[in-house]
Amino acid sequence: MRGLGDLLCKAYLGAVLVFLYLPIAVMMAMAFNRSALYELPMQFDTKWFVALAQNEKLLQASLNSVLIAIANTIIATVFGTMAAMAIHRFKFRGRTLLQLLLFPPITIPWLIIGTSMLVLFFWIGVGRGLHAILLGHVALSLPYVIVVVGARVKSFGEALEEAAATLGASPWQTFWRVSLPIMAPGIVAAALFAFAVSFDQFQISRFLAPPGVSTLPVVIYSAIRQGYTPEINAISTIIILVSMGLMLIIARFYKFGGER
Amino acid sequence: MSVVEVARVSKRYDKVAALDDVSLTFGDGEFFGLLGPSGSGKTTLLRSIAGFVEPDTGDIRFDGKEVRDTPVHRREIGMVFQNYALFPHMTVFDNVAFGLSVRHAAATDIRERVMAMLGLVRLGGLEERRPRQLSGGQQQRVALARALVTKPRVLLLDEPLGALDKRLRQQMQIELKQIQREVGITTIFVTHDQEEALTLSDRIAIFNEGRVVQVGTPHTVYERPSSAFAANFLGDANFFVGVVAGMQGALGEIRVADGTAIYTRDPLPDRGAQITVAVRPEKLTIGPAPTSSGNGGAPTNRLRGVVTQAVYSGSSISYRIDVGVEVMVFAQNRTAQPVEPGTSVVLEWDPLHSVVVGP
Amino acid sequence: MRARSRERLTVVGLTAPAYLWLTLTIFLPLSAMLYFSFLTVAPFGGRQAEFTFDNYLTFFTKEVYRTNALRSLILGFYVTLGCLAVGYPAAMILAKHIRGRWREAIFLLIVLPFWSNALVRTFSWTMVLRGNGAIDWLVHLFVPDAAPVSLLFTYPAIVIGLVHAYVPYMILTCYISLQAIDDSLIEAARSLGAAAPAIFLRVILPLSLPGVIVGTILIFVPAIGSFMEPRILGGPNAIMLGTIIEDQFTAIFNWPLGAALSFILLAIVLLMLAASYPFLRRHLQGF
Repeated sequence: MRGLGDLLCKAYLGAVLVFLYLPIAVMMAMAFNRSALYELPMQFDTKWFVALAQNEKLLQASLNSVLIAIANTIIATVFGTMAAMAIHRFKFRGRTLLQLLLFPPITIPWLIIGTSMLVLFFWIGVGRGLHAILLGHVALSLPYVIVVVGARVKSFGEALEEAAATLGASPWQTFWRVSLPIMAPGIVAAALFAFAVSFDQFQISRFLAPPGVSTLPVVIYSAIRQGYTPEINAISTIIILVSMGLMLIIARFYKFGGER
Repeated sequence: MSVVEVARVSKRYDKVAALDDVSLTFGDGEFFGLLGPSGSGKTTLLRSIAGFVEPDTGDIRFDGKEVRDTPVHRREIGMVFQNYALFPHMTVFDNVAFGLSVRHAAATDIRERVMAMLGLVRLGGLEERRPRQLSGGQQQRVALARALVTKPRVLLLDEPLGALDKRLRQQMQIELKQIQREVGITTIFVTHDQEEALTLSDRIAIFNEGRVVQVGTPHTVYERPSSAFAANFLGDANFFVGVVAGMQGALGEIRVADGTAIYTRDPLPDRGAQITVAVRPEKLTIGPAPTSSGNGGAPTNRLRGVVTQAVYSGSSISYRIDVGVEVMVFAQNRTAQPVEPGTSVVLEWDPLHSVVVGP
Repeated sequence: MRARSRERLTVVGLTAPAYLWLTLTIFLPLSAMLYFSFLTVAPFGGRQAEFTFDNYLTFFTKEVYRTNALRSLILGFYVTLGCLAVGYPAAMILAKHIRGRWREAIFLLIVLPFWSNALVRTFSWTMVLRGNGAIDWLVHLFVPDAAPVSLLFTYPAIVIGLVHAYVPYMILTCYISLQAIDDSLIEAARSLGAAAPAIFLRVILPLSLPGVIVGTILIFVPAIGSFMEPRILGGPNAIMLGTIIEDQFTAIFNWPLGAALSFILLAIVLLMLAASYPFLRRHLQGF
């Protein structure tokens, strides 16, 4: 009976995995389907990927997405790492408050965050556009960076930095030669996270993108609502492979440095 | 000449006094132990000397100069942390060389001194390893080498042997003492292990609740504790509470509740005063009958009672004897024949070992 | 004392950039939107706006808003229930029946899609659910004469899409809680005579409650505010509070009303959190 129970358990997990990956697999398959109407049975063709290379709108949007994601990564990682260091190496009165303030950005529905940003930006003259989108993406990335780097900083305690001080290293020397190298895996993981958050972000980009200038997810959304173009499957396949690839790298990296 | 001087240092955290008016001097080349229970202030004092804690009042002086305004990295100290705090991303060599390299020493100079130091701590050949590849004892030696290579003024050790198992600890204690002797550096170390404190220190300071309870050589502090706390914290003690009865020749006499007389060589206050005397368990002899004459005619300490417990520990036997109150005796296992519980026995000890510890 | 003020300066310097950014992009906007929710019109283009409670009152007077708010809450309920039903057993199997390398690998596989592009994943469901999609094709393999099967643009489609999107959250939080339950507790229960059902109900379930609760909150809140999945999987006729709010800002341009509805949504969330706070307090100790 033990064996049957075990088998059922494994089968269940298998079913869950199928549930999670089936749509993605189907979509990727359709990206290679010759039919524009997704007719089955499938006929293999890479024409949609070729068409992709000619689709100005999608290419421009992809470029925007990548550029914003890179800018977002740099800003969020630097600011977030600084904040994480302050929170976990110093004791000061507002410390718990600062940590609590990281909750609203990740728990409030993105719908509300997006619309409220739209309201404020319009009102104070920032308006919509790629700059507004960047502002929004960094806001969403910061909590993740602070938490991920913070966990790393916390796990190593102050003893290493104190040891460096007793050996004669000035605070600056301590930072460069001890703190930074040790934080590095956490910082890299956080940076990759930030990139993924920005690259995949849809809900708030939707409200902050003016007509004509957009990121990839927003363009895909419009295309879906107006009627399909099969190139969507092709670009979606690429996106999802990039996203999952990034996550795999993070998992590798975090494992690597995360252990004591 | 004292290398480090602590003068009337106090530190409070909220309502609790971590350090309360502490004054100590640490001499050149001395191996000084700070001993006490958790929270007694010993670690706070060590970290104050290092510069991680800023005292509320009082001064700390290195070679006569105040160090209040000197940040940690300029105090020229060497410190070994409880968990060694070895830099995981550097090799053993780079760890030990760190202090020299932040001072921009020449590469050849660094190489020479690091290798010499690794030889001193007997880690030659391991310089390319990473800390995680080393055993606990090896890591400890790297931490020591790293702290010593810059020739600091004072070496601070925070429970350095706490993470090691018993056998390794004993071995490391001997090595640590040897290295310290060879290098000749003033060393201050914190421990809660009394045996370790007694073994390693030239002098000990016992801490309790932020205050220094007693300072002295291991011999002094152990044989002549100045308070009941010190008597009980460092080793075990039997306490006898009674009233001063007067003098018997050169000996002081104390009467306890049931009328028994206890004699001591320590000076006593006036007759009638309340007094407590401590006697270490290993100072009592246990036997079936009183030994004749005792102290050459002078009265000796003698109690009669019944053995209630005998615990055999191989090289020694611990007895509990009911003499009206319970008394502990540690006896060396010389005859391989412990006294059975239920036996009537006579306990004796020299008045020299009755220590007055307070009222 | 100098060291302390130097330290304070360092802390401020290090935290200011991040938190100023958050103030500008999260906290100020929320305040601005709160302000807007009390205006008659959006104060742009020279229009004069006056203070009013109307936007909030509309929620109570006009049937459509309340109905859809309820619809959204019910949707959130179904989605959370679905995630629990699918995710909890998965978490338990993963925590207790799988060991070693496999465990990490499967865990990674489960979490991976979750961190990829949500829009794309939602879109991918249309490939499966539509007429001529994967399910339709599968059905016709076995029953060639069946009518075309399309689940797209139905309520169940929205639920499936949202469950698919959020179930990894539930698996993650439940896994963390379950995994922390020491095996020796279960062994102790067995030695005391408890059979499997009793062990589950009296030992495992209570101890895994923190994970369940956190997962529920993490899923329910975004689910009731979702607009992307309802639109894509439910079609133009799928109306939820989220889609209504989206419309106010992008089609109808009644920003004050959109603002008020957003805060009502937020208030519903906070009310639910507040109401369950005692329960949360007691059970979230170990998370």
